[in-house]
Amino acid sequence: MAAAQAVEEMRSRVVLGEFGVRNVHTTDFPGNYSGYDDAWDQDRFEKNFRVDVVHMDENSLEFDMVGIDAAIANAFRRILLAEVPTMAVEKVLVYNNTSIVQDEILAHRLGLIPIHADPRLFEYRNQGDEEGTEIDTLQFRLQVRCTRNPHAAKDSSDPNELYVNHKVYTRHMTWVPLGNQADLFPEGTIRPVHDDILIAQLRPGQEIDLLMHCVKGIGKKVARIANPRLDTFSREIFRNEKLKKVVQLARVRDHYIFSVESTGVLPPDVLVSEAIKILMGKCRRFLDELEAVQMD
Amino acid sequence: MNAPPAFESFLLFEGEKNLEAWLGSEAQPPSHCLSLHIRQLLKDPQVLFAGYKVPHPLEHKIIIRVQTTPDYSPQEAFTNAITDLISELSLLEERFRVAIKDKQEGIE
Repeated sequence: MAAAQAVEEMRSRVVLGEFGVRNVHTTDFPGNYSGYDDAWDQDRFEKNFRVDVVHMDENSLEFDMVGIDAAIANAFRRILLAEVPTMAVEKVLVYNNTSIVQDEILAHRLGLIPIHADPRLFEYRNQGDEEGTEIDTLQFRLQVRCTRNPHAAKDSSDPNELYVNHKVYTRHMTWVPLGNQADLFPEGTIRPVHDDILIAQLRPGQEIDLLMHCVKGIGKKVARIANPRLDTFSREIFRNEKLKKVVQLARVRDHYIFSVESTGVLPPDVLVSEAIKILMGKCRRFLDELEAVQMD
Repeated sequence: MNAPPAFESFLLFEGEKNLEAWLGSEAQPPSHCLSLHIRQLLKDPQVLFAGYKVPHPLEHKIIIRVQTTPDYSPQEAFTNAITDLISELSLLEERFRVAIKDKQEGIE
């Protein structure tokens, strides 16, 4: 009886012992355990698999997946973090920058700003294409000049009073439509996600005047285009008191809780759907390649 | 840039019922997401060995090795594994969409 229970535990639970985690690896492969039929069975998967949404709002989503393997959960996590495409500033053409912030620092900061544009409506830019066309590029203009406020009190020391335009926010970015983009995207839809991100600070006489090109990219190539933040951890703590009153803490192996937080470009449930599609696309490409080679 | 154009190729070294496939791509480096395929292959009782390794972390190359029983070709095993994966993922997508829709309807 104890042996059967131990086998069951090894197959289905990850144990958190006092000094470390045990039983982490999946072991239910065919032939490993006698008496268990572990060959892949689509029907059995369908019966056991479950998705429950715990909590959902505009920018964050929490859901459970029961019945999948760690490899899939992890593949999901990796894809959500690094392979779901977004639009972000890639090229910055600086016409004038007399601020304290160096050109490259400014450009780096601009690249981190999330841009509210559905990446599915855009194509990837061809390699070597310098100019960019309306189908793969978004253009933004940032032009801010700081001046002294003539109406400020004589002995004031508050920068908000003394200077005009001394803080450069994302709301100062204006969209410059290319080609037919003005027809496709109504006024106000293409913008940074948040308009209160501080880009730089200026003093009178300093000016920033630059043009930005946003392209579609994935986090793998460009580490900054990371879309959501995702924490994965498996819960469902199962307490099991044994004869010697040793409390054992174990986690059910195939119950995963996903918590996805989006940067605001796409709603989190769309992000997860896209991630699933990307994963399927990879599989299909693999299949095609395999078939192409088999022809030889 | 000096990067060579994107490519993905299979080099098959076949001996008996072995298959060693070598794949690499510049544009979309294959990642450890491939572990999914290996896991799926391992679920097949006719697959004797399935594994992958990355020869060097700075080079985007992955070698996959599959060994099967004599009456079953490794390519077939691979194809079946991928097909199973695709059906599993589409089920996942569907269930997820249903779950989201239920939640949204529950809220309204």
